[in-house]
Amino acid sequence: MKKLIPILFISFVGLLSSCSDEHNLPIYGNRETKEVMVDGKTVIDTIYATVPDFTFVNQDSFVVTQETVKGKIYIADFFFASCPTICPIMKKQMIRVYEKYKGNSNVLLLSHTIDPEHDTIALLKDYATRLGSDGKQWMFLTGDREAIYDMAAQGYYATAMPDSTEPGGYVHSGGFILVDTQRRVRGIYNGTSEDEVTHLMKDMDILLKENE
Amino acid sequence: MNKVLFLFLLVLLGSCSDSELIGMKQISHGAQIYKAQCANCHQDDGSGLAQLIPPLKHSDYLKNHSNELPCLIQNGLKGKITVNGSDYQLAMPAVNGLTKDELADVCLYVLQKFPETPIQLSEAELHSQVDTCFKAK
Repeated sequence: MKKLIPILFISFVGLLSSCSDEHNLPIYGNRETKEVMVDGKTVIDTIYATVPDFTFVNQDSFVVTQETVKGKIYIADFFFASCPTICPIMKKQMIRVYEKYKGNSNVLLLSHTIDPEHDTIALLKDYATRLGSDGKQWMFLTGDREAIYDMAAQGYYATAMPDSTEPGGYVHSGGFILVDTQRRVRGIYNGTSEDEVTHLMKDMDILLKENE
Repeated sequence: MNKVLFLFLLVLLGSCSDSELIGMKQISHGAQIYKAQCANCHQDDGSGLAQLIPPLKHSDYLKNHSNELPCLIQNGLKGKITVNGSDYQLAMPAVNGLTKDELADVCLYVLQKFPETPIQLSEAELHSQVDTCFKAK
């Protein structure tokens, strides 16, 4: 038995090293193929789904578009200020992400209100300040109601719509959507789960390394 | 050994009066309601959320307004309040659909759990406050 222990130890170490946090992240959405010419030869290129262009306004009345997120990775989520259910839990988790990446110019956080009539720019400003956001890296966006809902559904695979049967009057998914520098969705995480948000932050590190 | 333990437990239980046992049951029921209705915003530990949602833990507002707690939960709260020196102004929604007993139990739990020293309300006092809120609705 004593002879076996070193062997067991070595195989255990081998087993451990085969587990690694480093993995490639999936790319969400439908993909198309396109024939392109490379060095005189026809090759098949894959075109991935990307988040559509957008124009929203942040809590400081600045216009935020696809140009704002250019070259950065970002997280999108959906909330409304008077939400009594999952939003405060999501915001608690988003604070964790914000604290970790504060000052990293390659990371943005975009929280979209789904109740633009109630959540005015002034209210969003107050909301942002109270959560400890500097307003530049973690922004609170509003805009045309339909544009926000369309963006949730088509850009981020998320649900956001009025529902009078829900507390607060809206139904929305609690997802944190991770988008890469090429505006491709690379992960969707449950923003109410501490474990999933920890996983999200690991994946953000992987994405940031991808761009080094 | 098991018999000794059983006897010991029996003696321990017997040392609680009936009213204490009922109180413990109500508080544990209140804890379940707190978890379902309040903890999303105020958190399990009553710490609140940043400067957005006020804490209940060691809150001077709770201490000074303990008599209003049943109505506050039942009707919600609008307007600015100051808690432990910080201003808060996000409206608190009314908690709908609680029975009188549930409202009383969650108040018992909150007043027991979060103040620096637990606030004891008599059964009669609490129920009269609960009745007032239900009448006002």
